[in-house]
Amino acid sequence: MTLTLILIESIIIGGLVGFAAGAGAARMFHAPTVQGMGSFRTLGELNACAGDSASHFSFGLGFFFNAWASAVGAGTFSQDVSHRIIPNWAAAVWCRKGKPIETTLHNPKKMAISGMVVGIIVVSFLNLTSAAIPQSLQAIAIKVLVPAANLLINPVMPVLFWLAALDAGKRTGVYGTIFGGLAHLIMGNAVPGVVLGILIGKGVDENGWGRLTTTLFVSVIILFVLSGFFRGFDLTLLQQFKLGVPGWLQGLHQMMGAGGK
Amino acid sequence: MDEMNEKHSEEVKSHIDSTSNESQNAEKGFWFADWSFPIFVSLISAGVFAGTHMYYVYHVGAFNEVAVIALLQAGIAGGGFGAAAAFGTSFLFARILEGSLVGILDLGGSILTGLGVGIPALMLAVNFKLPLENFPLALITGSILGLVVGYIIIGIRKFTVGSSNSTFGADVMMGAGNLSGKFLGPLIVLSACSASIPIGFGSITGAAIFYFWKKPVAGGAILGAMVLGIFFPIGIK
Repeated sequence: MTLTLILIESIIIGGLVGFAAGAGAARMFHAPTVQGMGSFRTLGELNACAGDSASHFSFGLGFFFNAWASAVGAGTFSQDVSHRIIPNWAAAVWCRKGKPIETTLHNPKKMAISGMVVGIIVVSFLNLTSAAIPQSLQAIAIKVLVPAANLLINPVMPVLFWLAALDAGKRTGVYGTIFGGLAHLIMGNAVPGVVLGILIGKGVDENGWGRLTTTLFVSVIILFVLSGFFRGFDLTLLQQFKLGVPGWLQGLHQMMGAGGK
Repeated sequence: MDEMNEKHSEEVKSHIDSTSNESQNAEKGFWFADWSFPIFVSLISAGVFAGTHMYYVYHVGAFNEVAVIALLQAGIAGGGFGAAAAFGTSFLFARILEGSLVGILDLGGSILTGLGVGIPALMLAVNFKLPLENFPLALITGSILGLVVGYIIIGIRKFTVGSSNSTFGADVMMGAGNLSGKFLGPLIVLSACSASIPIGFGSITGAAIFYFWKKPVAGGAILGAMVLGIFFPIGIK
């Protein structure tokens, strides 16, 4: 019963994702006049196979085994399904010798149709085979995976992103450090702060303080203020600096149902 | 020789002209239009969000990298959703900006990580589980979110057209993101080694074999741990 449900859901999901990923990949070739969807590495890899059916297929196949291993082990496909397998196999369906790639790989309609078929097959196959793994084995995978993930979340990722920010230039380093530190204080993880610091630092480096970067900066400040408020950060801060919490602030928190210990 | 080159470059030039004409002519249709872009984003978002639903219910079918789904899993296992939510939504934010500026929306950051992990983690953090437990609701939630993202991108495109070509450090983040994905392999081996000795051996062997085959070490480490786990089960609390 569960397997039937999984099959039905997989067919729907695979069809939706395949259709859109195929069309989005073809639209990328017409960017920036047309808004595409995929990624730069997908574009590069599709170009590298240059409309040769066999190369597209074998490139996808290599990543199909990666995706399979990760689906069986951790229940997730890896991003390769939408980035590599679907676009390349969708292209392999249409590409023939002598046919110009403008009518195959660059055609969103054809790519959407073949992408849908590929998506349905790939997603159903990966989900059915990984669902057939006994529960006890999945439990082991999770037991091994979760502690590793916790280490990854903290401290590995914050440190890596932070170092990347420091290496990317003085402004990025300063904003990354300030926002990263604040994010760890407020949200308990520095990654989002460092990411936003990189975003602002690089944006200002490349464009100066324009309308866009100012809007970005203000929205980041608002994001920090709001998440600080809803996590009761302001209350804790006042308490730990031994300043005492004013009654109206306490009242405001209670009114909004916004935390604070 | 020169003649050949000239002829060739002319050919290339006419080829480029013809393709650009073609794409300009075709731009009006559904498949190339700006207005249809939100529809495509909506379709893929519905699929990806429903994939996260499948992961939540059946533990199969998520669309992301192991490292990113591991963030969500850590939350489901009771470790708090803060990291997954913050990581996912900040990526979504960055990719929406970048996507509208460069003309290519990065599916990995925006849809797979942002809508597929960040938003579900936000929902689970406030105990709003219904969209993740129910398949039709998951499809609807995903498609609405995708539609919103699509319209925001088209909106920003109109608003900032030609005014900026910065990627806002997306390359820096992408580099750090990929590097942290690499950390997961060794971390899984370490975690397997602390679980039990047989599972640790399995994980070491799996990781080594996968590395030798030029496959991701994380996958080999998990599969190796599982294979040895068949023969030497450990208690799961």
